[in-house]
Order: sequence, then structure tokens, then C-alpha cells
Amino acid sequence: MNFLVASIESLGAKVTGWFTVGYDIFAFLFRSLLLSLDRATWNRATYDVVIKQVYFTAVQILPVFLGYALVISWLIITIILTTARDFGLTAFASEMTIRVLVLELLPFLTALFIALRSGSAINTEVALMKVNNELDALAHCKVPPMQFEFLPRLIGGVISVITLAGLAGLLALLLSYLSIYGLSMAGFDAFTQILAKVFNFKILFGLITKCALFGLAVTLIPITAGLETPKKLFMVPVSVLRGMMRVFFAIVAIEVVSLALKYI
Amino acid sequence: MAAVAALPDDVARVALDLPLRANLTALDNIALIPLYQRHFNAAESTQQAQAMLDQLGHTGIAPLRDPDMTPAQRFVTQLARALILGRSRLVIDRPGAMLYDVPYPDFIRQLAEQTQSTGTWEIYDFSWNQLLYSQAPDQE
Repeated sequence: MNFLVASIESLGAKVTGWFTVGYDIFAFLFRSLLLSLDRATWNRATYDVVIKQVYFTAVQILPVFLGYALVISWLIITIILTTARDFGLTAFASEMTIRVLVLELLPFLTALFIALRSGSAINTEVALMKVNNELDALAHCKVPPMQFEFLPRLIGGVISVITLAGLAGLLALLLSYLSIYGLSMAGFDAFTQILAKVFNFKILFGLITKCALFGLAVTLIPITAGLETPKKLFMVPVSVLRGMMRVFFAIVAIEVVSLALKYI
Repeated sequence: MAAVAALPDDVARVALDLPLRANLTALDNIALIPLYQRHFNAAESTQQAQAMLDQLGHTGIAPLRDPDMTPAQRFVTQLARALILGRSRLVIDRPGAMLYDVPYPDFIRQLAEQTQSTGTWEIYDFSWNQLLYSQAPDQE
């Protein structure tokens, strides 16, 4: 009987914990949205921090990221083309390449890339700021941490994921054309017709929304996880672990919902 | 010391529990105040921060980040940040915890003489350190 009560209590505590975490994340997002709509937020200083964030999150990693996108795209395109030829479905190869790579795989991998590189760094930094009282010091000096530290990271994350996924997508499209038609312009009309067919307004809007949600997930969740950290230095790795697990689940959930909305 | 933590908002505090932003230079830590509080642009804010460091006689620490500073340099940066807040009262909370590499009553007195601060400076310290203040050579 005691075992049953303990199990129910433990389960209840876990469920309450999940709801609390979810509430904290959405409350933080709501406050960020309100602040971003306030004209007073957008002074030169905030713009500068946003630009710095975009530089650190997207521009600094551009060569490595594009190299990685190139290799993945080339591999997937080759697999799709070979399989399509084997089954006599060459006519569908371009569309399949675009759907698999540009709409699904590359945005997902971009989000994972940014989460591992920047999300973990953001989580660690915010947790350390919390533990070392740096946030209290900023509050004492009346420097708003939301405006100075958090909002620029959120905006930087969203811009970075959208632009990096967009660049990777363009690279994949180019590679796909070259793999199917070579350096000739013969297939240009057919290829652009397929592009127009796949990228209708709904799909394009869905793709941008998905990338924006990925961008939010890889920054918002690490920030809130960092802010939850108790003021004990040994809790920083635990905070990063929790934050990154939540980011992973969020990215997968966004991808699954996006696929379900598109294909079911 | 609970009284120090409960001080009103119009008091600028220099304390161990109010550290610098670790990833910013001394200059940037100080420049944050005019930048975000008084909405000066980046160049003007940096200029004001540099002027404050010059006034305290520590021009050279501007590019240093917190982990690269000596305790005295860190204290000067925290003091400059508190002074640039422009509040009428400045409270230095347990200076011995921050200034363990210099004879601190003299060091603080010297800094106070260098600044053009018009507000009052108060030091909160443990009673057993009182002797340090009375032993200071230029104590009045």
C-alpha cells in the first residue's frame, strides 16, 4: 500500500513539475513578447546586442555549417537519386529531394546544430549568472536583464535558425539541380516548375513558422532552464542537462507536429 | 549584515554579492549604466566609463575581464560602476572580503579622495576590523 502511495505521489510530483516548467517557459515567452512590442525596448544598445547574438550564433559558424550542410545534402541527394533510378521513379526525384531535404531534414539539423552549439552555451551562461549573483547585480544597477541579456538571445536564435536553414536549403536546391541535370540549363524550366509546385504559400509559411519555433526552442528553453538553477555551483551541469533534454524533446515535438499537419 | 542587504534602492552598493558581469570588460561593465539607464549611445557611455576609471586612477584596467583582474582592480571596477549610478549614498559592504590584497582602509580613502563624488560614503565592516581603521596613518 505504501509503495502504491509513494508511486502516486512521485508521479504527481513529476506531472506538477512538468506543468510548472511549461508554465514558466510560456510565461517567459509572453513577457518577452510584451517587451519586444514596447517601443522603449528598441534602443541602440538592444539592437547592438541582437546583432552581436546573430554574429555569434549564425555568422561565426557559417563556413563549418555550410560544409556540413553540403556533405549531408550531397549524401541524401545521391541516395534519393540512386533509389529513384532503381525503381524507375526519376521523375519524382527532384520533388522528393526538396521535400525531404529542404522542408524537413535541413531545418531539423540546423536546429540541432544551434541547440548543441549555442543553446548549451546559453544555458550554462544563464545558470552561472544566476549562481554568481550577476543577475542580482544587474537588477541593483537597474539594468534590465530581460532587455540586455535574454530578449536579444531569443531574437538572435530565431533569426539565426531561419537564415541558416534558408541558406542550407538554397545550397541543397543548387546541389540537387546539379546532381540531376548537371551544368546544363536544360532542366531549368522543369526544376522551377517543381519548386513552384512544392513551395506554395502555405508550405512556405509553415516552413518559416517551424524554423522560428525551432529558433525559440533552442534559446527560450535554455534561458528558462538556466534561470531555474538553484544558487549552487554544482547544480550548473544538472541545469544544462535538463535544459538540453527539454530542447531535444521540443525540437522533436515541433518536427512531429509539422509533419502531422502537412501529411496526415 | 542583513541591514546592508535591506538598504533602500537609492543606495549604491559595492559588495561581494554584487559581482561584475564575467564576460564583459571593466569598461563595458561600467558603460552598461549610462547605456541602459540614461540611454546614451555606446560611444558616449564608453567615454563616461573611461572617465570614471581615469578619475579613480585605474585607466589601464579598462580591457580586463573579471577573471583577469586582481581583487583591487575588481573592487575599483565595482566602485566605478556604483559611482556612475549617481546615487547619493554609497555603501561599501565588508571591504575586507573583496580587498584582501591591499591595506584596504587606506586604499579606499585614497580612491575617495580621487573622485569628485558629492554623496556620502559608508563602510560596513565587522567590529573586529575596527582596529584597521583607527591604525590608518592619515586617520583624523
